[in-house]
Amino acid sequence: MLKKYLLPRLVQYVTVMLIGITMVFIIPRLLPSDPVEHQLSRMTAQGQYLDPAAVEDLRASLEELYGLKGGILQQYITYWKRLLTGNLGPSFAQFPTPVTQLIRTSLPWTIGLLLTSLLLSWLIGTTLGVVAVTYPNSVFAKVAAVLAMGIRPIPYYIMALVLLILFAFVFPIFPMAGGYSMGARMGFNARFIFSLLRHAFLPVTSMVVLEVGGWFLQMRNVASNVVEEEYVSYAEAMGLSRLKIMLHYITRNAIAPQITGLALNLGFVFGGALITEIAFSYPGMGYLLYSAILAGDYNLIMGINIFSIVGVSTAMLVIDLIYPLLDPRVRYQ
Amino acid sequence: MKCVRTVLLLVLVAACLVCSGSAFAADPPRNETLVADILTGRVSNPGNFNFWATWVGNDKGLQQLVIDPLWMADYVTGQMDNVLAKSGPIYNDDFTRLTVHLREGIYWNDGVAFTADDVVYTVELAMATPGFGYNTQFNQNIERVYKTDDYTVVFELKAPNSRFHYNFLDRWGGCRILPKHIFEKAEDPLSFQFNPPVGTGPYRLVEYDVGGYWFLYERREDWDRTATGMLHGMPAPKYVKFMYYGDASKKAMAQISHELDMADLTPESLDVVLSRNPHARGYYDGFPYAELLHPCVTGAAFNTLVPPFDNKEVRWALNLALDAKELAMTAYNGAAAFSVAYIPALLPYYETYYERLEPWLLDYTIEIDGVKHKIYDPTLPFEMAKAAKERGYDVPDTAQEIRKMFGYGWWKHSPDLAEKLLLKNGFTRGRDGRWLLPDGTPWKIEIICLTAATNPSFKWAFAIGNQWQEFGIDVEVRPTDTSNALTESGDYQVVGGQPASEPFGAGIDLYRAFSSFKSEYWKPLGEKLVGHQTRWVSEGLDRVIKAMENTGYDDPSIIDLGIEAAKILIDGQPGVSLASFPGFMGLDTYYWTNYPGGENPYTVPWYHWPNLKFMLPYLQPTGRK
Repeated sequence: MLKKYLLPRLVQYVTVMLIGITMVFIIPRLLPSDPVEHQLSRMTAQGQYLDPAAVEDLRASLEELYGLKGGILQQYITYWKRLLTGNLGPSFAQFPTPVTQLIRTSLPWTIGLLLTSLLLSWLIGTTLGVVAVTYPNSVFAKVAAVLAMGIRPIPYYIMALVLLILFAFVFPIFPMAGGYSMGARMGFNARFIFSLLRHAFLPVTSMVVLEVGGWFLQMRNVASNVVEEEYVSYAEAMGLSRLKIMLHYITRNAIAPQITGLALNLGFVFGGALITEIAFSYPGMGYLLYSAILAGDYNLIMGINIFSIVGVSTAMLVIDLIYPLLDPRVRYQ
Repeated sequence: MKCVRTVLLLVLVAACLVCSGSAFAADPPRNETLVADILTGRVSNPGNFNFWATWVGNDKGLQQLVIDPLWMADYVTGQMDNVLAKSGPIYNDDFTRLTVHLREGIYWNDGVAFTADDVVYTVELAMATPGFGYNTQFNQNIERVYKTDDYTVVFELKAPNSRFHYNFLDRWGGCRILPKHIFEKAEDPLSFQFNPPVGTGPYRLVEYDVGGYWFLYERREDWDRTATGMLHGMPAPKYVKFMYYGDASKKAMAQISHELDMADLTPESLDVVLSRNPHARGYYDGFPYAELLHPCVTGAAFNTLVPPFDNKEVRWALNLALDAKELAMTAYNGAAAFSVAYIPALLPYYETYYERLEPWLLDYTIEIDGVKHKIYDPTLPFEMAKAAKERGYDVPDTAQEIRKMFGYGWWKHSPDLAEKLLLKNGFTRGRDGRWLLPDGTPWKIEIICLTAATNPSFKWAFAIGNQWQEFGIDVEVRPTDTSNALTESGDYQVVGGQPASEPFGAGIDLYRAFSSFKSEYWKPLGEKLVGHQTRWVSEGLDRVIKAMENTGYDDPSIIDLGIEAAKILIDGQPGVSLASFPGFMGLDTYYWTNYPGGENPYTVPWYHWPNLKFMLPYLQPTGRK
């Protein structure tokens, strides 16, 4: 079992990470933006008096500081040495702030936002999907299907803007921007938690509303095949209740693709949700990554992507490992 | 059932608590708080205030309220304000020594006195720390820095430099003075976070958002021990909050709801704010609403190393094919102050430069096939005023006021002359009327620009592109986030942006605007830029720049040199020198009034400039709760 099932997957896991991490080292260096030039142009564009005579010296000094002198192979080796000690290096655009510090500032917001919306939408969509299949002729099933198909194609930005205008501007119930209010000291206290919930409500709602449709349709499609399987007919013939059939026969057999989808999406959590962050001016990794790309901040781009690579690969590995436990058919194969 | 009811009740209570966030909010009293936008957006490293080492979102209130420079440029008054310095820079005869007298009685916000030790330490630390913003420049220039007493600092320079003090002149940047007693305790000054920031400015940091969206500052109780207090009195708002709401549409929503007092908007969002908030106004209370006089000339720049833009007559033809009035109407609904001479339209520069240049401009001719053509149109500002009136706007009647609003003239719209110039240089029109290059291939111009639709780079690029298109040239305008990178390596034809560098806007010296054209900074295509993005050089301009370097920054003869440089640039026409940067700010007068505006331009009106500290004492509360 260990040799046949676990080992190949572990090798695959390590290989994917090696390739992924190497790619995130190479790709940012192909960008036309360059961290040193970005720093120089920011200095001049934003008013600093920079004698052109000093520019060349400054350029050389920054290249040295940023560790960009020397060949790409040498930089690659340094990068791995640093990475293996858990050091992602300094951000160039905010030198010498460590990349880990920047990620640490943004990651909790992203995880909070995306994890909550993902789990909520998954739970609601999956439940509604299976209920709609179990009770196909109910009004609920029809309404849910219409809503799911009607809401899902709405462009996310429009949905976000509508929510924002309605509930932050016309009816100013929720705030327009930020992650929490002034005076709400960070920590496990009522003021901060309520402030946090209030600020997160619209971003989370916008994502849940649109994502529920996807999960709903996927679950309904899989479950509608399952419901025609003979074991479901036998269960009905045995006189089992619809609830029991739904939970033990339909859901259990239709849930596997949903779990794969969930796990993959969990892995993508680290990349952030740029449009949500921009639409609701909500803190997170998406904006951090976007500004890093614009600034050619190699280390920050690599740092954020490494989280995503590790996240997605680990999610895939975990799925591979727990699949046999969830679905006996895999175990037998 | 009971259980369900309990759960429902709990949900209801939670919902009420969440929705009534105000019950928990601890915002300072709104009528005592000025709320301003963070222009550069969300701050990625909000807890770092060490802006000597890196970019920390310097306009999150740090440069405006907490940290002071020695001097500060005010482009509205044209003055160089003394802040921590008591007087202007004092150079010796050969510009190798600079003496600075410091203001006495200033205290850091932790109660420690500010002295010459702080200035000397700031400079020495910058010189000793690679990575500090001024490390290279100071090491190149300074032989020795020392104090002669607690309030006098002397810089001995390695070579004559009549403008060394510009390093300490804050114009949205400059070497500000750091507190020695704080930084000397820092193990590594480069990674030191400087949190909380200790400054000599009139406010201190109270709280900030770890997500980087807001920062709250409170007026110091000892505000009278700051340069701002000494020079201008007590800043009116007890609190100043900097908040980033998002794009212009969100800022507009916040301003309509009286949540945001000062914001940078687009022309369109300003329109919305003005129509929905009766207390809102622009820089002008009426047309043109925008701030038009800004120390930055905008338009476009040619890459003069790329054919056919390496041909001066082609560059001239492209300028003459433009209709400046139409450009201004299209891009900014007529809100533009023209700057034909690579010098921004700015009140202090009007008298010093434009008044003196205009007779020369009126006589300026270009010769085509032996015929001389006068091409300057001095009537343009008046035509603009007329057009604005026709659109129903109130526009001043006097020539002086009209000039103040729209600047001086620009080039006559002369497509016929442009045509002749191109034909003279071997260009032809194809059967479809589109222009062909001298080698017979279709002429296609690509204009790159920034992606921000609010920026003149974007606005002018599209407006200019349309007009060249109408003139018969295929034009593609390409907004790109890599615009800076492309211009730095010379990988472009035309870029929407600045045809010359920005002067300080304070004083009479234009060295900062023109020195980037020095031929010693020239680089071939593909090599990283040092000088101006046009890569245009001229022996004549080199001579003028050299003469500027040998002349004091405040010597009256510097004006003649500035005029000479402008004439050379006009003649070479490396860009399209169109208009000063038009700024569309929204000002809500619901809680605060007496902002500097077109009718009362007492200082720099922007909240993200360091000059905000000098504006705050003049704001007046309305008393609204």
